[in-house]
Amino acid sequence: MADQKEEMRDITFRVLRFNPQVDSKPYYDDYTIPVEKGITVLRALNYIKEHVDPTVSFRAFCQAGICGSCGMRINGISKLACTTQVWDELEKCKTPNVIKVEPLRNMPQIKDLIVDMDPMVDKMKKYSNWIESTMPESKMGEKEFLIAEEEFQEYDKATDCILCASCMSECSILRANKEYVAPAILLKSYRMNADSRDGIHEKRMEALVQDHGVWDCTHCYRCQETCVKNIPIMDAIHGVREEALEMRGAKDTSGARHAEAFMDDIQKKGKLVEATLPVRTNGLGWTLTNLLPMAFKMVLKRRTPPPPPLVKPSKGIKKFREEFQEMSEHVKQDQKDRKH
Amino acid sequence: MKPFDIVVVGGGGAGLYAAMEAMKTNPSLKVAVLSKVYPNRSHTSAAQGGANAALGNTAKDDTVEMHIFDTIKGSDYLADQDAAEVLCSEAPKIIRELDNIGTPWSRLDDKTIAQRPFGGAGRPRCCYCADKTGHTILQTLYEQCLRKGVKFFNEYLVLSLSVDGSRSKGLIAMNMKNGKIEAFPARAVIFATGGYAKMYWNRSSNAAGNSGDGQAVAYRAGIPLKDMEFVQFHPTGLRKSGLLVTEGARGEGGYLVNNKGERFMNRYAPEKMELGPRDLVSRSIETEILEGRGFDSPAGPYMHLDLTHLGSELIKSRLPQIREMSMYFEGVDPIEEPIPIRPTAHYSMGGIDTDIFGRTPMDGVYAAGEAACVSVHGANRLGGNSLLEILVFGRIAGHTAAEEAGRHEAREISRQEIEEKEQELRGLMKPSGHYERYGELREELGDTLAQNVGIFREASKISKGIEDIAALKERFRHVRVFDSSDVFNTNLIQVLELQNMLDLAETVAAGAYVREESRGSHTRTDFPVRDDEKWHKHTTYTYENGKPVLGEKPVTMGRYELQERTY
Repeated sequence: MADQKEEMRDITFRVLRFNPQVDSKPYYDDYTIPVEKGITVLRALNYIKEHVDPTVSFRAFCQAGICGSCGMRINGISKLACTTQVWDELEKCKTPNVIKVEPLRNMPQIKDLIVDMDPMVDKMKKYSNWIESTMPESKMGEKEFLIAEEEFQEYDKATDCILCASCMSECSILRANKEYVAPAILLKSYRMNADSRDGIHEKRMEALVQDHGVWDCTHCYRCQETCVKNIPIMDAIHGVREEALEMRGAKDTSGARHAEAFMDDIQKKGKLVEATLPVRTNGLGWTLTNLLPMAFKMVLKRRTPPPPPLVKPSKGIKKFREEFQEMSEHVKQDQKDRKH
Repeated sequence: MKPFDIVVVGGGGAGLYAAMEAMKTNPSLKVAVLSKVYPNRSHTSAAQGGANAALGNTAKDDTVEMHIFDTIKGSDYLADQDAAEVLCSEAPKIIRELDNIGTPWSRLDDKTIAQRPFGGAGRPRCCYCADKTGHTILQTLYEQCLRKGVKFFNEYLVLSLSVDGSRSKGLIAMNMKNGKIEAFPARAVIFATGGYAKMYWNRSSNAAGNSGDGQAVAYRAGIPLKDMEFVQFHPTGLRKSGLLVTEGARGEGGYLVNNKGERFMNRYAPEKMELGPRDLVSRSIETEILEGRGFDSPAGPYMHLDLTHLGSELIKSRLPQIREMSMYFEGVDPIEEPIPIRPTAHYSMGGIDTDIFGRTPMDGVYAAGEAACVSVHGANRLGGNSLLEILVFGRIAGHTAAEEAGRHEAREISRQEIEEKEQELRGLMKPSGHYERYGELREELGDTLAQNVGIFREASKISKGIEDIAALKERFRHVRVFDSSDVFNTNLIQVLELQNMLDLAETVAAGAYVREESRGSHTRTDFPVRDDEKWHKHTTYTYENGKPVLGEKPVTMGRYELQERTY
């Protein structure tokens, strides 16, 4: 039962090159090589390095999709080169048979496809992405914690994360603000806070609700869409937010107040009263000093939201309020159950 | 920051545990970990199956003694019995400790840590987290090291050990980010750089960087290596890539099937069947192929690992990574059809000669994990014992180094030593006299090793292998580094890794040649039986004038007598 003869094709890899010692800015190099069907992008890059240009630089280690070294953007999407089939990429090429290969975004480029991972490690430290055990060190090794399958299930998927940083590369907030906590770090934070062995839930949460923290996420879902391990990262981020409200109430930070203002509007009108949202989130003083210039621009461009009295409740608001009430009850019950 | 009290080379399970334990033993010590990859990338992450410990959670009647016996028998009686005893008696404690600091072990209904059967084990004692056990252990240890404030030097490649007489002064390493050669003076150095099985290149399951850097550096500094000829071939590598399908796949009930549809393991290990020890299962597969009962393909002959009868539910929950890999790299969904597999070089039993406290024969130098040879695995390692070893002996080496660091004085490494290294590396980039391409040499090394020093070995073939390696070493003198950049010069790094592989390959082949017997993973078709009278001993290798000088060491016996090894 010999296999069919494998298909071959000439394919061009358009690689973003940059060597800070000689280049003032990045540029693309094209490498056209014969590729057999079934080959991964990483194997193609290895071929280029060994046979065409040994100066092309990229990270690769396990080559089996578990170490997370070879995260890069292939045809514009962040993923692992070692688990990406060249043939699958051909359908996504803008120019036929030309596959674009670029470094991950939102992290400083070191050389070619290699970016600096230190910012990620720094954030793991900043947000205590570890278990601080409730068991004293002197007692360790004597007995196991007893952990129910249900608890394991809560963080099982989150522990699949290999820190490849694809989500960080795709994150729209991180693009605007490098200080932002980042999806992988939120995922890990969620995983730690779901673990009954951990004794610093409050301390971790205290850091997460500050500026550049969990409330900065705008739900664009790019992290979840690109996760190479198919981890529902957005669910984890929502999980952290829910827990933040549960643990710290809805008043303690602008993020929480923003969420509460949203809830309020939705409950009352079925839609947002955008004009007063900043005031309710950050207070009048902050709004005047920070948003006045923008408000002027909005007036000039005629993009101002309607004044509050003009925001009328949506159609069917009565029915909606009933459902909203019912949903709230469910959420409260869930929270109670979780505590017991 | 410098000098450090302890510098650990390698950020996998053994290195991280060593660093963590050293800081726990003496919090006033300055401990650094130097790693050529970010620690969370280390090859520990690829260990899928699990770690053995006689917790007695799944099988209540399991005991530490049974684990010791299985380990010694599995080693074909080449393991040192005191070392095996340390390994197995520390096992339950270390698994619980990992649980205590956050490793997400899979659980049984009674909420205790789950265990599953593994090859060569008398009871189900392999603790696991789905099929991502190594990955989750590595994450846990890295997290804890960050918590404890271990100082990391990520993406540093170790180049040499700086030695003064019989004592280490510390290390010389290259900062890959800027190409700078830096000295790391230290009271104690711990090598935890992982295995050397990537020298089999295309026929290896290992990460690209598993070139045995620590072993090569220690060896060239005069520290002996031990039992290098013992390289384990894992029975189930994927046909095309050599990537690994965990033994857990057979632990969960997978079948090995030949082209006649037979579960052929009944011919070789009628009792244990697919769960026989790795050396035996690998030989059985190769024999089936040699006798014409394999499948053919352009990517070479192969065998079937059939999981289809396990059902989609079990495969999805217990073996999700395996399913993913089969689909990515072979285009096969194991729920629907059998996975094409063939044996692949997987694990190096040999390594730096260490005692049960992690000490090497050189003062101030320690080693742990796959880089070391204590020896707990002897001639063949049991599945689930390698994660265990890196944890147990990583911790022990960290502890010993921390206790003994104070005894050693800190020494300086001279500017001249650094400059010599710089010159040596610059020499590799000169065009004149340098024209060989490292990629070719590396591939040829792997091919000759797989053909001549692979699963089935014999004198004439090994001689051929030795000649080939010598010729490759000669050609390596003309190897060219084309990239002249100081910044992340992966071309230079891969050339240096190749140099390490060549030096170690020489010891593997030399050992295979002299050991005229068949034991564990080392199978000589011209000497098909175990010869306890002549060869119940360890081989050692000392570097002299660029060549290995062979020696020997007795095996430490204990309460278990030599027996024939059948399954």
